[in-house]
Amino acid sequence: MLKTLVKKQLFEVFKGYFYDAKKNKMRSKLAIAGWFVFFVLIVVGLLGGMFLALSMSLCAPMTEVGMDCLYFLIMGTISIFLGAFGSVYNCYTALYLSKDNDLLLALPIPVRTIVASRLLNVYLMGTMYLLTVMIPMELVYMIVTGVTVSKLICGLLLFFVISFFVLALSCVLGLAVAKISLKLKHKSFATVFITIVFIALYYVVYFKAGDIIRDILANAESYGERIKGAAYVLYLFGKIGTGDILCAVIFTAVMTAITVVIWKLLLKSFTSIATATGKVERIRYTEKTVRQKSVFGAVLFKEFARFTASPNYMLNCGLGILLLPALGVYMLLQGHVLLPQLKEAISDRPDCGIILLCTALCLMTAMIDTAAPSVSLEGKDLWILQSLPVKPAAVLRAKAMTQILLAGVPMLIACILSMIGTDFTISEKILLLVMPLMYVVFSALVNTVIAIKFPLLSWTNETEPIKHSGGVFISIMGSWIIVTLFALIYMFFGYEQSTTIYMLYWVVALLVLSLIMTAWLEKRGAAIFAEL
Amino acid sequence: MLEIKNLTKTYGEKKAVDDLSLSIQAGEIFGFIGHNGAGKSTTLKSVVGILQFDEGTITIDGISVKDDPVKYKKDLAYIPDNPDLYDYMSGIKYLNFIADVFGISATARKEKIKKYADLFEITNDLALPIAAYSHGMKQKLALISAWMHDPKLIIMDEPFVGLDPKSSHLLKEMMREHCDNGGAIFFSTHVLEVAEKLCDKVAIINHGKLIKVGTMDEVKGDDSLEDVFLELEAV
Repeated sequence: MLKTLVKKQLFEVFKGYFYDAKKNKMRSKLAIAGWFVFFVLIVVGLLGGMFLALSMSLCAPMTEVGMDCLYFLIMGTISIFLGAFGSVYNCYTALYLSKDNDLLLALPIPVRTIVASRLLNVYLMGTMYLLTVMIPMELVYMIVTGVTVSKLICGLLLFFVISFFVLALSCVLGLAVAKISLKLKHKSFATVFITIVFIALYYVVYFKAGDIIRDILANAESYGERIKGAAYVLYLFGKIGTGDILCAVIFTAVMTAITVVIWKLLLKSFTSIATATGKVERIRYTEKTVRQKSVFGAVLFKEFARFTASPNYMLNCGLGILLLPALGVYMLLQGHVLLPQLKEAISDRPDCGIILLCTALCLMTAMIDTAAPSVSLEGKDLWILQSLPVKPAAVLRAKAMTQILLAGVPMLIACILSMIGTDFTISEKILLLVMPLMYVVFSALVNTVIAIKFPLLSWTNETEPIKHSGGVFISIMGSWIIVTLFALIYMFFGYEQSTTIYMLYWVVALLVLSLIMTAWLEKRGAAIFAEL
Repeated sequence: MLEIKNLTKTYGEKKAVDDLSLSIQAGEIFGFIGHNGAGKSTTLKSVVGILQFDEGTITIDGISVKDDPVKYKKDLAYIPDNPDLYDYMSGIKYLNFIADVFGISATARKEKIKKYADLFEITNDLALPIAAYSHGMKQKLALISAWMHDPKLIIMDEPFVGLDPKSSHLLKEMMREHCDNGGAIFFSTHVLEVAEKLCDKVAIINHGKLIKVGTMDEVKGDDSLEDVFLELEAV
């Protein structure tokens, strides 16, 4: 039974890889393998490559001064953060918000099997990210210090300790989120607020990471001794990776005990939380005369209502809304200082400042992709729009417009602040406004095309279309590739002409592509939507 | 009012609806009965414009669902068998959304919402999110949204499922009143007693094919509708 449930859930997560919604049939084995190889390459290539570089920069200097345990402590902590960061919300939604909880609880399936299948799913997803840190960490260490049996055994036990610690942490925090959200009145915005605070902290640490690592490397011995003296548990944790069997066994035993306790806690609370309807504030309806909206206005309102109702949607597809003005404020305050420094640093491309600024602005737009999962999110409600006298093209226009407004307004603020904070020429300043705004429109249209080409309508948890669907993946990767190309082409070829001309080329190219996509959406896209 | 000619819809190899033709006139309550998987919902969804069909034509007062879907849909309302509505909206926001789509003026919608919400006794719950509604309350909300814009034709798939006896009774009265005022209703049901008492005309579908259609008296004669249905199913 457990195998069946896990298989069902993993199939839901990776449904797009197995099933071709367009042709309404399963993909061939070769196509499935191709999609998975692509996914692994991206995860291993991007995240794995990043942590391989970090491991290489830390391992040798630390092992040289005998601070191997500090190396494992740092890398282990990073892997815990990475694993837990993605797993807390995943654990909360998978355990308590899955739409098939009632159905499964009504079937003769033991509660422990349901919980185990959900947790195994969370564990596997968390472990996937965790391994992108742990594999480079172990590989680099073995290469630098040599392979021994005890190191191999301890490496495996360290993986067990960390992966189950991440799961335990995710379960406890997920349970806390579930209990709090049952009592919150405005849970969408509260969840978004709390998460943003965490993300802000994460970015503060991330931006200071370089200084922190340099400091640790310079004072590895002193930090190691301090940890040994003040936080002996952390010291012992670090010792596991170095091949200390005793530490490994102690931590494994403690972790097993913690896992058992949390397992019991979850089993005890699962049914009551998963089936609770939550606190619904008794709002008494008072008659009001509302202003009549146009059909397009009504559909646009619906899209905004969908966005603001879901913290999951807001966080995963709208984070750039906050980051763009933040970048604008930074440029307003630091632009005059930053750009001359940049000019000095990249002296053979002295005018690249505006290109890099536009790249940064567009990269943040990539973090606003509300249109990409918007068709999938219609889910079982799709019949409403299809049965109403609304042109399918108007629905798609509303989906694109929602993203344009959500990204366009913060982008406008960021551009205006950047224009004030920098010393570009008038023509450059105009293009600093036009090019990113044109990219906002282009990005919204691309995401709407993706939404209609890769719909995932049968989901049991909204995280699937928002976070795990092939469409969203293509949207984010595609945006990064296009924006990176914008910068790279300038650095290698485009610098021979003025930045104004180079940006103008891009504006025209984006405009032409946007017009082509608009025409496609109005005709072919609308026809596909009507046939979904 | 509604003309369905030679409707055929296939799912892969299987013909869900096979060369089905029927017409519904203004003033008629038209019942559509058949076993599970007979093709009732497929027919209704094709009529509403949710499903694209392979062959045939469907028109309301001469307007084709394929040629001018927006104009066609302005004259109809649809209530599916499972009213999945926008959970993230409140009841009143959903009704206003529907009213906006149908271009109902602010004053008119206020009156309609008050009238039907009072009838179904959910006025006090309109400010609540739909996610907090029971199945029956969602069904009532879907019914209000259907009646709100005075459609010519109302299509309903198992409309009585989930409704309490009082609301079921009210719905039957509303159906009759709608047809007496010149509208038409096309609905599917498994409750043959209801169909027998309520419908002016009835059609029986079996494995995608229409096997009997006509006025209630023509179809059942002196027998009960249940006997006729079971007899035809056995053939």
